[in-house]
Amino acid sequence: MKMKRIAAVGLTTVMTASMLAGCGGGASNSDKGNDSNGGSADGKTTLKVSIWDSTNNPADLEAINAFQAANPDIKIDLIDIPSNDYNTKLNTMLNGGSPLDVIFVKQADSLKNFYDKGQLLDITQYVKDANIDLANYNGTAENFSFDGKQVALPVRTDYYVLYYNKDIFDAKGIEYPSNDMTWKEFEDLAAQLTGDGNYGAYMHTWQAMAWNWGIQDGKNTIMSYKDGYTFAKPYYEMLLRMQDAGSIQTYGQLKSGNIHYSGAFAQGNVAMMPMGTWFMGMIQGKIASGEANMKWGIATLPHPEGVEAGYTMGASTPLAINAKTKAPDAAWRFVEFMTGKEGAEIYAKKGYIPALSDENTIKTVASNEGMPEGSEEALQVKNIVPDRPIKDHVGEVDQILGEQHSMIMLGESTVDEGLAEITKQVKEVLE
Amino acid sequence: MANKTKQAGKGISLNTRNTMVGLSFILPNFIGFCLFTLVPVVFSFILSFMKWDGFTQMEFAGFQNFVKIFGEKRFLDSLGHTFYFAFFTVIFSMAAALGLALLLNRKLKCVNFFRSSIFFPYVASIVAVSCVWKAMFMEDGGVINGALQMLGVAEDMLPGWIASTKWAMPAVIIVSVWRNMGYFMIIYLAALQDIPHSLYEAAEIDGASKWRQFVRITFPMLTPSHFFVFMMLTINSFKTFDMVFLLTEGGPGTATQLLSMYVYNKGFISWDYGVTSAASMVLFLIVATITILQFRVEKKFNDFM
Repeated sequence: MKMKRIAAVGLTTVMTASMLAGCGGGASNSDKGNDSNGGSADGKTTLKVSIWDSTNNPADLEAINAFQAANPDIKIDLIDIPSNDYNTKLNTMLNGGSPLDVIFVKQADSLKNFYDKGQLLDITQYVKDANIDLANYNGTAENFSFDGKQVALPVRTDYYVLYYNKDIFDAKGIEYPSNDMTWKEFEDLAAQLTGDGNYGAYMHTWQAMAWNWGIQDGKNTIMSYKDGYTFAKPYYEMLLRMQDAGSIQTYGQLKSGNIHYSGAFAQGNVAMMPMGTWFMGMIQGKIASGEANMKWGIATLPHPEGVEAGYTMGASTPLAINAKTKAPDAAWRFVEFMTGKEGAEIYAKKGYIPALSDENTIKTVASNEGMPEGSEEALQVKNIVPDRPIKDHVGEVDQILGEQHSMIMLGESTVDEGLAEITKQVKEVLE
Repeated sequence: MANKTKQAGKGISLNTRNTMVGLSFILPNFIGFCLFTLVPVVFSFILSFMKWDGFTQMEFAGFQNFVKIFGEKRFLDSLGHTFYFAFFTVIFSMAAALGLALLLNRKLKCVNFFRSSIFFPYVASIVAVSCVWKAMFMEDGGVINGALQMLGVAEDMLPGWIASTKWAMPAVIIVSVWRNMGYFMIIYLAALQDIPHSLYEAAEIDGASKWRQFVRITFPMLTPSHFFVFMMLTINSFKTFDMVFLLTEGGPGTATQLLSMYVYNKGFISWDYGVTSAASMVLFLIVATITILQFRVEKKFNDFM
């Protein structure tokens, strides 16, 4: 009996102590944070940087290490958060006032939210002083400017290109797609390639497969409802025509079959697929694992009539500084490095497309092992339109588009009815 | 006696002592309940009268959130879909569960095999199950439409299932019934085995047909189970989210968007916690009303019996 009681008391003590220890841990962490701001004993400034799944992105780590090597007075303390929890955890940290200096922002559209809450440092002056030409970011940097204040710079970027299966082209004796092709030419080419169990193209079930081409010229965004979204109409008509002609699998088939675009392309019966540059790594992985067995290639994304080739759309990863940082200069040096030439070089070598990209970085990306011939020319871009503008309510608009997209693609409503419904609903949300 | 108690409890009466011991047993669970259920529920109740995006200052909004949702087509639609879904799911699940229980309440070869295979959907992974059903529901080349075609349904009459606004909800209901029936069959089976055999013997002697036996003996004797099954099914159906989300994501369009999904969208896409909470309060009120009504009816019924 006595033993039991002692055991119970002991257990309770241990548990309480461990709770206190937990608190203690927290306290010491924040102490470290304070140190960082005042500079620690060895004269180094520590920057706390939040990032997700860094172990899966060797390029991030390599760039960070290179920064530390080049800046011995700054130490980077990485806070690695699993990607699924990233936004929640980041929100909690920022709202709770945790010491955090630099933020890798996972969803560019959440940047506005951070800005509205006053959590981002205005880096306009830094950018000016460093003589950084935002035009070199191919249109992705302007997106991170609110009320005339630059609050972030893009690190990496992904944009849409056209993937194709060389085997199907070879078998049909048709020339590979050119880097300057209109959507009309794409549609015709797809029709020619269809047959013998092959589909001329694959259009995934995302609403982006109609809307992206509508915003490709950079004149409209998915929020521009004023004209009743007529800019999306030609692409819906194209999709429906292709669906009827059998040159793409129908939306219904893809939805009920739970088909992922990577699996669809890997199967080898799809000749062309517009998709983001993130797919380059995916398809290489599939080939390496034996899941796919094909010769693949990349061409520049087809473009609307009257728009130059090289106009595409995509999303980039912003790097921002916490407004509460105590070491803004050091934080800026980090951002400048990562989003600048040095950082770009490292990302390119690892096969990622840096936001600051020119012919040289693209050359580096294209010369990586496993990249198909001709990708250097194909990856050249002139302008990258953000696929989602960074504005309030973009999530709701996205949802409305998705719902009506399914209605149009399934033939439940006509293109005009669908677009009218979208206009009506978006208007309600935005007004 | 009194003396003894006092001695034992050192000034605390035996009753109080017992109560305290009892309380200490439920305390761990109760703390968990308070922290993870009660507090969030109360908080959500308060939130439904507030305007809040999760970060900025909360503002009191009175009944604005409720006025807002009841003026919103999307909300009213999802409310309608929820009733549609719940009504048919409950009726068909009950019928299927009872039917299967009657079938499997006999001495059959491999009866246990049949029972387990019918129970299986209830324990199978919902994600895997949804993927398979999705494939079966394919308009061209799906197993279900294939079977319908063999039964002589004309090709242009075949339902589009989850790829059509008209048939998506029936499809979802079918999967839901299929998933529910096994569990509730077990409940009916247990109850069936509790019905005294002598009743059937007496009925047989009186020359009652099997159907009459079912109507006059089996069905009424199962009343408590009917209530239980009905209530559980109703609550479950109103709360359904995962399966529908996996099968149709609320589509096509908004054809299968249920109230629970509306709540999800408002919370995690629009970040409008006030409206989200108001909508969940409506859901809560519906379920609570049905439950209370049911208890009342059940009590009346039991008084008669």
